[in-house]
Amino acid sequence: MQSLGRLLQKLADSGVDFVVVGGFAGVLHGSTLVTRDVDLCAVLTAESVQRLRICLRDLHPRHRMTSRKLSFLDHPTAGSKLKNLYLETDWGTVDILTKIAGLGDFARVRAQAMEIDLFDRKIRVLSLEDLIQAKEALGREKDLLAVKELRAIAAKSRTKQA
Amino acid sequence: MSSTDKAIRQAVQAGFDLSLLEVSLALTLEERVRQHDAALELVTALRSAGRQLHAKPRTPPAKAR
Repeated sequence: MQSLGRLLQKLADSGVDFVVVGGFAGVLHGSTLVTRDVDLCAVLTAESVQRLRICLRDLHPRHRMTSRKLSFLDHPTAGSKLKNLYLETDWGTVDILTKIAGLGDFARVRAQAMEIDLFDRKIRVLSLEDLIQAKEALGREKDLLAVKELRAIAAKSRTKQA
Repeated sequence: MSSTDKAIRQAVQAGFDLSLLEVSLALTLEERVRQHDAALELVTALRSAGRQLHAKPRTPPAKAR
């Protein structure tokens, strides 16, 4: 059964340091738009990849961008340098990116991220301002549409604080 | 017009239902995640039903005469 919420909880237990970015970060900020995947920003070291393999091994993780849907448990081989991971699992899709358009690398993304309590876990999420900036940098129609709602959320938050 | 009013107006013009947004903002983080999961499940089911609806009917095998 697909459940991005459960997938995120499982990933939070992996021990990999990550920041939730993309549409799912929007959901956490209150967006009403439905996203089909969880996007994370992380550093993909040999150790973090191994942790992800252990974390996801029961969910049949496979590289969704490869024609044969190669198993993430076997590919890439140890020592390969990874820029991004695009995975499909039994609980849903997760993309792990090392850089975010409009923002930069993991260190930059993490520095401005906010920490939230979710399902008894501490999870870092891209700040609303950074999410808007990242989506504007992507510039696709669907991202620019999402920006309009995110700006409304930011405006409502300002009104509430005032 | 303030930047707040402008942001709200642009969201409405883009088709966002502000009452739905208010409901979402009133939810806890866990509730937002659960509600999103339920919505995604529905979207997935509808897409699957749509694919079946528009799938080409299989041509029955020709009968031997």
